[in-house]
Amino acid sequence: MRLTPLSIPYGAATTAARLGWILVIATFGSTQMPGAGPLVALAVVAGVLALAGLYQFARWQRFEYELTGDTLDIESGVFSRRTREIPLGRVQNVDTSRNAVQRALGIAAVTVETAGGSDVEAELRYVTEAEAERLRAEVGRLKRRAEDERNGEATAADDPEEEELFAMSPRELALLGVVSVDLRLLSLFSAVIPIVAPSLTRRATDPLFSLAVAAPLFAAGIVLVAVLASAAFSVGNFYGFRLARAGDELRYERGLLNRYTGTVPLSKVQSVVLSENVLARRIGYASLTVETAGYAPGDAGAESAVPLARRSRVVDLAREVEPFGEVSFERPPARARTRYAIRYALAGLLLTGIAYGVHRFSEFSFAWYLTLGLVLLAPLGAHLKWRNLGFAVLADHVVLRSGFWSRETTVVPYYRVQTVVETESVFQRRRDLATVVVDTAGSRGLTSGDPKALDIEADRAAQLRETVADRLQDSLQARRAERRRERERDLRAPPADRTQSSVASR
Amino acid sequence: MTGPERSLESAVRLVWILRAALAAVVLGAVTGALSVVLDAPAWIGPVVFTVLFLFGATRAHLRYESWSYRVRTDSLFLDRGVLTRVRTVVPYVRIQHVDASRGPVERAFGLATVVVYTAGSRGADVSIPGLTPDRADDLQDRLKRLAIAAEGEDAV
Repeated sequence: MRLTPLSIPYGAATTAARLGWILVIATFGSTQMPGAGPLVALAVVAGVLALAGLYQFARWQRFEYELTGDTLDIESGVFSRRTREIPLGRVQNVDTSRNAVQRALGIAAVTVETAGGSDVEAELRYVTEAEAERLRAEVGRLKRRAEDERNGEATAADDPEEEELFAMSPRELALLGVVSVDLRLLSLFSAVIPIVAPSLTRRATDPLFSLAVAAPLFAAGIVLVAVLASAAFSVGNFYGFRLARAGDELRYERGLLNRYTGTVPLSKVQSVVLSENVLARRIGYASLTVETAGYAPGDAGAESAVPLARRSRVVDLAREVEPFGEVSFERPPARARTRYAIRYALAGLLLTGIAYGVHRFSEFSFAWYLTLGLVLLAPLGAHLKWRNLGFAVLADHVVLRSGFWSRETTVVPYYRVQTVVETESVFQRRRDLATVVVDTAGSRGLTSGDPKALDIEADRAAQLRETVADRLQDSLQARRAERRRERERDLRAPPADRTQSSVASR
Repeated sequence: MTGPERSLESAVRLVWILRAALAAVVLGAVTGALSVVLDAPAWIGPVVFTVLFLFGATRAHLRYESWSYRVRTDSLFLDRGVLTRVRTVVPYVRIQHVDASRGPVERAFGLATVVVYTAGSRGADVSIPGLTPDRADDLQDRLKRLAIAAEGEDAV
């Protein structure tokens, strides 16, 4: 199969737009070139366009892809050839994205992800929308067929029924805009203003422009700008968000100008993460992320299952993906809190030192001693951090929670655990504490913190380490036994009764 | 059911001390050169070297003392670390592949390292340094067989 011919002009135009501007500015900007007028600039852009067009044509001609029964084969490369075969059973996600121009042209970019590797395994830029849809359905169908053959069943019907799990309401979208403001940034600004403001008012000679007026105005301005920016971002990103379940895969679509659609196979889910920042907790909302092993770090939001919804609903949806039971958290001992208090107090003192240095050795003078207030806040910060820590050992899952500004609760099924690591630093040993990190093949750990039980009792940590490792073995054995029973049942059953038992028990 | 607790070959201390010495020489030379340029007293370079070397040597010894590993029934267990004690459990089911590697310094002392790769995303590739080549090959082979026997179903 070839890509759509439309990808030639589109690719050339984007290249020209990217390079053309630089060249135009260069031609106009240099005063050394007399007679550099619009004609020259036009010629330059036309030249770039022609070259880019040639290259894109060559790329289009040398790019071929094909879906065989069990692999996706891609041959590509203008100067150096590359042949790639991706086994469909290893495919984690199939995603499409279309920006406004691509939508007008009716083309889409399709990416296919497998686990491992840091970049996308296959990128088809660009195919027609119909072809993108066909690829998605076909990859899903072939995967199911392979699965059924492995289980010795007759192949199930084509596309399974789609059942909508979640659709974002305008209200939730608006709330998302407000909630997704980065609070850490805001609080930092608000803390800095009263300290810096005196020197600002001294610079403004108008006596009416006093601290009492300036600081609140300044703060309100910053808050407003931050809220508007993040609101615009989240509306653009999650407008028309919809999550559906079809057989054993999740499908999502989102975006205002850029439309994104994609699939997440439930059999590849590594963990589910419930995130609630301070504001969301206040109003009882949360968001849900489903981690698979496919995405490269930095694809934030790509696996977002629910951008924002009522907490109870998010928990229900999380249980759709990973059926975990009631959670009651175990907390680290209170002496862990002391550690954080000391740590934060030291950080506060360091900042005070820096502030004093700036005040003493630069033109910029202000009430540096006010930063000592941060040291007084250390116990409060420590308590908040400690209060949000916790872990829970359930029948089939281990649940780990941490974070105050943005609290993340990670649910890891035992059979997805890769390694278990218990660490004890010198400071932790003094207080008889340890940390347990539960490693999965999920990709978020590269960008955000690891799922871990922080600063728990040392002997409890050793216990937890072994418990998780043992339950991994138990769950693997249970799954194997389940598969065996299934195969035996399918072999005994008459062909007419062969149902989709493989779908029911992922 | 766990295997015996194994320690590393004591010669691994020499490898680590040599590495520490190399780093100490470089840093000592840099500070020595700087002290000449900046007209500082001439003993700074040697002092930096000595301090770093002693620190490295002590650390090498303590690190060796702290290291142990066990080949258990269904997982490999490692316990090591001086300042931060790290205990890692690597289930055989999760092993993707096992390497045995020998750097130039290790070869000089007749040692080898075994590296175990998993699909974990948090840099959980685990290595066991300071083994004799025979031990390393033996361990590599054993881990490979255990990983296959653990019936690696879809590892990810």
